[in-house]
Amino acid sequence: MSLCGGETVIYLQLFLSFMKIGFTSFGGMSMIPLILEEMQTHGWMTAEDLSNLVAIAEMTPGPLGLNCATFTGTQTAGPLGGIIAVLGVLTPAFTLTLVVAIFFEKFKDSSVMRTIMLFVKPACIAMLLGVLVTLGGETFIGENGGILPFSILISAVMMVLLVKWKWSVPKVIVSSALLGILFYGILPMTGMGL
Amino acid sequence: MNNDHWLKKGLVLFLFFFKIGCFTFGGGWAILAQMEQEFVTKRQWITKEELLEMVAVGKSVPGIMITNISMLFGYHVGGIFGGICTVAGITCPAILILSIVTVFYNTLKDNYWVTAALTGIRAAVIPIIGSAALSLGKDALRSRIAVAVLAGGFAFYMLGGSNIFLVLAAVAIGLVCHFAGVKL
Repeated sequence: MSLCGGETVIYLQLFLSFMKIGFTSFGGMSMIPLILEEMQTHGWMTAEDLSNLVAIAEMTPGPLGLNCATFTGTQTAGPLGGIIAVLGVLTPAFTLTLVVAIFFEKFKDSSVMRTIMLFVKPACIAMLLGVLVTLGGETFIGENGGILPFSILISAVMMVLLVKWKWSVPKVIVSSALLGILFYGILPMTGMGL
Repeated sequence: MNNDHWLKKGLVLFLFFFKIGCFTFGGGWAILAQMEQEFVTKRQWITKEELLEMVAVGKSVPGIMITNISMLFGYHVGGIFGGICTVAGITCPAILILSIVTVFYNTLKDNYWVTAALTGIRAAVIPIIGSAALSLGKDALRSRIAVAVLAGGFAFYMLGGSNIFLVLAAVAIGLVCHFAGVKL
């Protein structure tokens, strides 16, 4: 019985966490810093898992936010946890957006939202930069505290491919997986790994 | 006859968005392109202007952009039932696919080769998030106030401040500026 109670609590926590994330995220990647914060506060996930999650959510069809919520919820509390996290993240759509849909004509030229977005967008960029610092620390520094030069190399190359050569995200992920296998799989076997 | 009509519309919405959820890679914008093709060009349920208005509004409501736009579109076409069918349609595939992927992830992530590949992939996630921040910055950082909010927000994050608080503070400042009539 007590186990059952514990599970109910985690479902409720998941729902509330993702409801908070839903109501404070504005599009795409801006959800990632919020998810990281909630996951670390509750001790549900490591920054490493979150990095993997971003890649997985980008490699699978469908919107990033839904993919992230399902993955995180399932990781934390099984399949039902995934569904509950998704319901949490959808709360704004079923409440606020529904109200907006009903009064659409009034909202479409609203200048309130435009003024709010003037402040929210830079705040989202600030969060993304912050999350880059956190994830960068996890990604570029190995378990023994040493720097991982191959990871820095992969990051630099992929940045150029993404920004200058306009490579698509799945292409970048597959290429870096292959480089990862080369640098962290094959090279250590030959004794040349770092 | 009329009853039959809204049920059928709901089913069409659910199935179309289910299909989109299963097969559309590349996030929100790729999904919008398909919505335009199906509902503006082929079925002519809405005009292109209406869809663009929904995108503009959906982007400024909190939550996942595409589920917001789906809700606005579904409601416009089929009322509350239409909205629910549309959002359910786009959500179900994500739940199904990601549940399976999560099982694979948990069983495979400690494999030697998978760990190596994931280490490489994590290095790519940094530029992926970085380029998202860059493209967001292109249209969001045009004013000095925006740059100040960015700098302040980043300092706040580095000092251990809460992200949710940061977003809520930005919303609050926006509201105050709007209703106080501050020219920006």
